[in-house]
Amino acid sequence: MSADRKPRAFRLDEAETIESSGVPFIEMTPDPYEAEALAAADPEEQAVEVAQKRGVVAQTLISWGGLFWSAAGGLLSLAIGLWLTHLVDDLFARSLTFGVIGLVLAALAVIALLVMAGRELFGIARQRRIAELHIGFADARARDDTAKARKLIKELAALYAARPESARARAHLAELSQDIVDGRDLIDIAERTLIEALDREAQREIAQAAKRVSVVTTIAPRAFIDILFVAAQAIRLMRRIAEIYGGRPGFLGFLKLARSVGAHLTITAGMAAGDSLLQQAVGHGLAAKVSARLGEGVMNGLLTTRVGLSAMAVCRPMPFSTSRAPGVRDVAPFLFSAEK
Amino acid sequence: MSSLSDLFFEARIAAQNLADYVRGPSLRLGVTGLSRSGKTVFLTALIQHLTSAASPAMRLKKNPLPVFRVHAEGRLSGGHLEPQPDDAVPRFAFEDHISALTGPGGDIDARHWPESTRRISEFRLRLDFEAANKRRRPQSLTIDIVDYPGEWLLDLPLLGKTFGQWSRETLAASETPARLKIAADWRNFTLAQSPAGPADEEKARRAAELFTVYLRACRADDFGFSTLPPGRFLMPGDLEGSPALTFAPLAVEEGVSYEPGSFAAMMERRYESYKTHVVQPFFRDHFARIDRQIVLVDALAALNAGPAAVRDLETAITEVLMAFRTGKRSFLSALFRPRVDKILFAATKADHLHHESHDRLEAILRHLTARAILRAEDVGAAIDVIALASVRATREGRAGRGDQALEAVIGTPMAGEKIGADIFDGRTEAAIFPGELPLDPKAVFRDSAKSLTPEEMDYRFVRFRPPVATRNDAGAPLPLPHIRLDRALQFLIGDRLV
Repeated sequence: MSADRKPRAFRLDEAETIESSGVPFIEMTPDPYEAEALAAADPEEQAVEVAQKRGVVAQTLISWGGLFWSAAGGLLSLAIGLWLTHLVDDLFARSLTFGVIGLVLAALAVIALLVMAGRELFGIARQRRIAELHIGFADARARDDTAKARKLIKELAALYAARPESARARAHLAELSQDIVDGRDLIDIAERTLIEALDREAQREIAQAAKRVSVVTTIAPRAFIDILFVAAQAIRLMRRIAEIYGGRPGFLGFLKLARSVGAHLTITAGMAAGDSLLQQAVGHGLAAKVSARLGEGVMNGLLTTRVGLSAMAVCRPMPFSTSRAPGVRDVAPFLFSAEK
Repeated sequence: MSSLSDLFFEARIAAQNLADYVRGPSLRLGVTGLSRSGKTVFLTALIQHLTSAASPAMRLKKNPLPVFRVHAEGRLSGGHLEPQPDDAVPRFAFEDHISALTGPGGDIDARHWPESTRRISEFRLRLDFEAANKRRRPQSLTIDIVDYPGEWLLDLPLLGKTFGQWSRETLAASETPARLKIAADWRNFTLAQSPAGPADEEKARRAAELFTVYLRACRADDFGFSTLPPGRFLMPGDLEGSPALTFAPLAVEEGVSYEPGSFAAMMERRYESYKTHVVQPFFRDHFARIDRQIVLVDALAALNAGPAAVRDLETAITEVLMAFRTGKRSFLSALFRPRVDKILFAATKADHLHHESHDRLEAILRHLTARAILRAEDVGAAIDVIALASVRATREGRAGRGDQALEAVIGTPMAGEKIGADIFDGRTEAAIFPGELPLDPKAVFRDSAKSLTPEEMDYRFVRFRPPVATRNDAGAPLPLPHIRLDRALQFLIGDRLV
């Protein structure tokens, strides 16, 4: 052992104050156990947050695929621009009137395109804000942080400002935010008064979609038709649920949302293995014995319900805390009672 | 205590509990708090809110209990005071306390806090509600609560102590410099007596008298909450003068057994009979069968009095809570041996502080009760800590001179309260900034490295008069304002009302 590796002690306060060379320094190593304990949250809540990060709040578009599509899109718009200039030139060459009409039409098309793009961006931003609210509420509730809860509640109320049916709940929350009510309680009250009404609406939508899908699958003459129908219903359902919770997904926004829902479905598929997957297998078996078409109908209905529940989890502006997150059985009980 | 009498004691508790279970859904709420912690005011506010919440008079008013779910969801259909189960115990004088708080006979100027409790009393409250599940059928829950002098609570730790242990602890506690002065008379007398000497009734009476004088002096001093058993010496009830109250600690030596007929043997017998005839029935009838527990702690008064009082308070709370049976509720335990499965620690009189300091007050209470919390969490009981004001006597505001503004509370201080040179007359309103609580709760304890100097720990929590109650058209007072009473109710009984 060399002389400088003999046992000795460093005092924390000395190391902090003196900053010349040769004086001992102390660096804190992050405690892995502590980090682990902090990370251990509710698995369902984690699934939602991971899913949101994959789609709705995904920050970057820089990937090779994204680069390809952007470049290709750029080329395509250049081509269209070129074609448009040629067209307008040709029109002017023929007659002044046609030229002017063509120019006006082109301008209108560009303006409409810009407005559509603006809406698209607005929709994406809004969906992202809802996802951020979700994460913020989870955090504020865990830490019982009153100041943060008040701020978030204000944003939440602003999100639903255009809905007259929530006026009373919003006024109630605004009043309570002035009172001495703790952060956690304030968030719970918001969930109970403002969000649970939306939950009921979303569940109704899911139930209706599941019903439609299972009936159409059972009676449709061609397999091709029910594939189309199931896809269309799933898309419609996701959009509708996003709208119920205050989002306004356009085309790109919907793609992001669909990616989040897909991620959530994948993550929770394993967790749900205990209940609904087993039920699906058993249910399918029983129903298939009665009729193959009926079995497929039930299966497709279950699938639609799962998509709807995932969309609900991803679009909801706060995590489920006062009430339990609904399961397949709560939303679409008819799929199970049909078997008996 | 022999094992046979232990068994008998347990069997009686189990039998009483089984009888309760057969009678229907009920809940026994234990309200624990040392004297002057605000038990009576808490109970009065609780009854007032629960009985009037569903009444037609409150229907158009703002909901005063937004966090209490069963009421916020509109499922609470009524609350009534019912005849209590034990005929031998006086009824809780709810009407008297309300009229004291709102002014007797409608005279607002005469409003005052209820007198300190001198004897035990109880009440039963029935809540009618509808279940939140699909059936929504009407249900009811009866809640039994007991009010008692806080001094008696100090007796519970005695159940596990022998006469020798208690004597040595009491003598050791009187040796601290602050107490040595007031204990001098009693110590001189006691230490002069030989425990092995012959029993002498006259000496016993004299020792008990001097001991009582010492206990009273301790209580009158700043160390208001100290561990001062036996509690009946301070609040004798109807036992005054009986042999069970005529004993005092002696300088007995450890491991020595004294002959029958000696002075120590007589004292020991009386100590044991105090336990059998006073402490055990009190524990059996009111504490052994508790389902939920709220522990009220007047942390502000302890902070006012200094670090020694804070430390004393911590010891007292921890010892008292050792006597309770905590643990998860199960079917069998619900039948025979009820356990406390939820404990709420509440720092009372939170209205003396601006709400921005409430988090710090909660942190201090959490630190103060850390040992009790650890023990309860170990066995699976749910714990919460809040800053509570059962009756809120202040409003909030900002006050200051120039451009320096402080978060203050505004209320009417009681007559005789003072800050600096200002002495209040009990009529004028004042805005008061009580001082800043430390960010690190450890700082209020004396033996921590970060403890504050007396100048830094300068708090002045003045006592306020009760608020003026708003009255309805008929002149009856509406429920008084509160801070977090609804959160306390939700934690304590909310899960039984779903």
